[in-house]
Amino acid sequence: MSNSKLDLQKADKKPKENITKVDIWRQFPLLIYAIIIITPLSLVFFATFKNLKQLYSDPLGVPESWSLANYKALFANENMLIYFKNSVIVTCISVFSILLLASMIAYAIVRLPKWIGNIVFGFVVVGMMVPTQVNMIPQYLLLDRLNLLDKHLGLICVTVATFLPIAVFILTGFMKTLPKGLIEAASIDGASHWQIYSRVMLPLSGPSLATTAIFCFVIVWNDLLYPLLFIKSDSLKTMPLALLEFQGQYLTNYPMIFSGVVVASIPMIIIYVFLQRYFIAGMTAGSMKG
Amino acid sequence: MKKYWGLLPFIIPGVILYTIFFAIPLVSSLALSFTDWNGISPDYNFVGLSNYVEMITDDPIFHQTFGNNLKYMFFVVIFQTLFALIFAMFLAKNSKLNVFYRALFFFPTVIASVSVAFIWIFVYDPSIGSLNTILKLFGLDFLKQSWLGDKNIAIYSLAITQVWMHTGQVMIIFIAGLQSIPKSLYEVARIEGASRWQTFRNVTWPLLAPAATIVVAYTTLQSFKAFDLILAMTDGGPSYATEILSLFIYHEAFRNFKFGYAAASAVIFLIIVSLITIIQFRILNANKVTYN
Amino acid sequence: MNFKKLSVLAIVVLLVGAFVVGCGGGNDEPADQGADSGEKQVTIRFAHWRGEDKEAFEKVIAKFNEEYPNIKVQQDISGSEQYRAKIQAELQSDAGPDVFTTFPGAHFATLQEAGVYADLSGAEFLDRFSPHLLLAGQADGKQYAVPYQLVFNIPVYNKGLFEKAGVEPADSWEGFLEMCQTLKDNGITPIIFDSEIGPGQFMNPMLMNNMPTDDALTRVEKGELKLTDDWFVKTLAQFKELKDKGFMQDDVLGTRKAGAAALFAQEQGAMLAQGSYMMASNKQQNPDIKQGLLAPITVPADQAKYEGIHTSTFMIGINAKSEKQEAAKKFMEFLFRPEISAMYANVTGQMLTVNGVEYESPELNEQAKWLEKKTLFQPRYTLTVQEVEDAIVNSIKDVLGGMSPEEAAAKAQEEVERSIK
Repeated sequence: MSNSKLDLQKADKKPKENITKVDIWRQFPLLIYAIIIITPLSLVFFATFKNLKQLYSDPLGVPESWSLANYKALFANENMLIYFKNSVIVTCISVFSILLLASMIAYAIVRLPKWIGNIVFGFVVVGMMVPTQVNMIPQYLLLDRLNLLDKHLGLICVTVATFLPIAVFILTGFMKTLPKGLIEAASIDGASHWQIYSRVMLPLSGPSLATTAIFCFVIVWNDLLYPLLFIKSDSLKTMPLALLEFQGQYLTNYPMIFSGVVVASIPMIIIYVFLQRYFIAGMTAGSMKG
Repeated sequence: MKKYWGLLPFIIPGVILYTIFFAIPLVSSLALSFTDWNGISPDYNFVGLSNYVEMITDDPIFHQTFGNNLKYMFFVVIFQTLFALIFAMFLAKNSKLNVFYRALFFFPTVIASVSVAFIWIFVYDPSIGSLNTILKLFGLDFLKQSWLGDKNIAIYSLAITQVWMHTGQVMIIFIAGLQSIPKSLYEVARIEGASRWQTFRNVTWPLLAPAATIVVAYTTLQSFKAFDLILAMTDGGPSYATEILSLFIYHEAFRNFKFGYAAASAVIFLIIVSLITIIQFRILNANKVTYN
Repeated sequence: MNFKKLSVLAIVVLLVGAFVVGCGGGNDEPADQGADSGEKQVTIRFAHWRGEDKEAFEKVIAKFNEEYPNIKVQQDISGSEQYRAKIQAELQSDAGPDVFTTFPGAHFATLQEAGVYADLSGAEFLDRFSPHLLLAGQADGKQYAVPYQLVFNIPVYNKGLFEKAGVEPADSWEGFLEMCQTLKDNGITPIIFDSEIGPGQFMNPMLMNNMPTDDALTRVEKGELKLTDDWFVKTLAQFKELKDKGFMQDDVLGTRKAGAAALFAQEQGAMLAQGSYMMASNKQQNPDIKQGLLAPITVPADQAKYEGIHTSTFMIGINAKSEKQEAAKKFMEFLFRPEISAMYANVTGQMLTVNGVEYESPELNEQAKWLEKKTLFQPRYTLTVQEVEDAIVNSIKDVLGGMSPEEAAAKAQEEVERSIK
């Protein structure tokens, strides 16, 4: 399939009807899936223009008017900007630390003799397979003892430690596929580990770093459990935690939650689209190998 | 051997952080699996292996939960991987339209799971839900189901939601994998006159094996850890038909106040997921080809 | 070079982060102390799960600060599911909330046994409650928590639809079935039932007159009575009867609470098998709806002991480890004043346990009528083992899913025996 795409790019002389045929064959499932994605999503989007009564009397319909009342109400709470800022701080520092630490570990795993590498890999990656629910209370009591409760630092430490395994797992998987020749050549030239890591490994790992970054951004940005447990002061709350206040026992203010969710999703989509450029970088790196 | 010491500084910072904030609390909570701690009381008794024995020999709910989780896992892993692979191949090239599609498919992942749960409750609702309404509209009445109410169907309904939510996410891994395949190999395949299927079979798939391994392992993990979504949509019902392991652990620890028992099920969880992951690695890596 | 840059950047980011974090943490306290003239300012944290009450509590707190300017009250709200996990972790540290809420029944019992409550016995504000409504927060003869809300766990009905069909709430099982039949004949779904909270709510009025004694469920938990006994099997059979006669909407098990509530608010059914707490939100969704409360009576009229079910819930207590217990008590005393309670009740639309509260809305006045009636404390909350409660609730779902009452009862009894052995 990718092959045929390349064909299409290069051989302009091919008959036109052929192109249309291939295109429809490809566009049709994409379009269907796009509809499957958009339809439920539009319900969320529509809901942000309704009040509770309208939402329940017509949960699936198009809103009567495109009133921005919910968004206005959301930002009428001046703390919302603080929550947003907190989310940005916590997410950026966490994701950056995860990527840095995980890529270093992944590099070491790839370069170490196989059995030591496997031990390190196993030790870290097993953390991925632990159900979070069981670790909560001990983690809470640990932060309490270290006097890190109700501080962003404590939240960040636990977040980095918890999501490091996933990043190590993805990055190691990809780094293992990088051509050994380049690394060995650099090694023979007398480059140090730091040099090989920063000048060979990282640039070659563009797409996988971008992928891992996207994963971590989404997970950390939407994480509710740890902020819920560790943050108490209003001034330190993150977005998902703040939105929890609209959730009631019997009556949840979904239009407000959804408005918050829509606002919160915008930075993620921007980051996602932005990180796509590293996929192109990966492609050039890929062609180097040939 | 000496050159490997230089790698120590690469490992130390991450591993120390991980050990302090994750591994140590983990060990202490797993140690509680040998006790009858209720999760809050200051004292508890050491009960040896009895939590494990009870769970394995005498807990029909745990057994059912385990079965549910396997069903959920197979459904999610098969469909999510397949869809992600197909769409990744369609969208591997960086064109504007493709970037748009990718972002669109990725969107459900970004939305917090409370919202996803809320939408899908209404999609599946038997009276005012959109799915049955749409089926009726197309004259497909016989396909109408009690999506969340039927014991035999509910778990798959949830699995559909999970696939809807995460396909766009794991698709990126395939895209990253596809883009690191050297173009020259396709060039060679074309010159040799390979068919589209042969190209896929002999070039794309073997080189995509590492990405596929990551996707399958990650998806498996997700299907075991899916928690928020199920908690919000069915809370494990009807009659434990959608109770999966993570939910079971949560219910034991925080509703039934049996933290020791929950810790024991977490150990079993850990063992099961690790075993499945190792088996997957073996199978998928059999396909792997490295090029130098 | 590249890497050096990277590490420098990392350190800078971390430092900036730590700085911001440090500032964020430090900001609060000087502000606290500087606020008032010399007197010591304290902040108490009040943890609860009612997001819908946020504004009402904000009003209460604002009033409270007119009288006690030195006590700041910070609400800490999380949804009821997250709340359980959070409170369980927090109460074990020294950083727990000062004032917190619990559910009656198993939740309260377990927390109380762990010793997390400060003893409130002898507090003057307890005189403002009817003694029987305080029972849910007592253990070993001491008052550990004060149930603040009063809920009637019986179906809400649509008066307009009842009038249209020409029926009145019935006082016997025969009458109840007849009433449902008439509604059905008029093209109205009699009962809207959801699988999320419906079984746990509707089981209470169904059981209240069937149980051999009021503490029958407690005795099940002790192993003295069995769910395979006649009274329980009969109750399940009555559930089955309602379902088989088509008195509930299609696909009860697939309906969630929000969907059921939406159906009721849109007047697509005559009764909503949830509880009085839904009246306020139904009204919000449909301002024209006229609502009342009724309970199914499962026996002939002359054998009925009870007319309905009540629960005193949203139990407020003080953390035994809190260093600000005095301030916390002041807040509770203030909250429990009749005029303050009235403010809270009329904003949230919830009935309260406090005596002498004046209710404004028609829904609350409708509920207030039930204070006079013979109601039983919710049997489900007399259970202290969660698994027993789950077994009972699940047996109802099983019957609604098509299992025979005998089989469902036997299955539930097995689960009970497993969990109490």
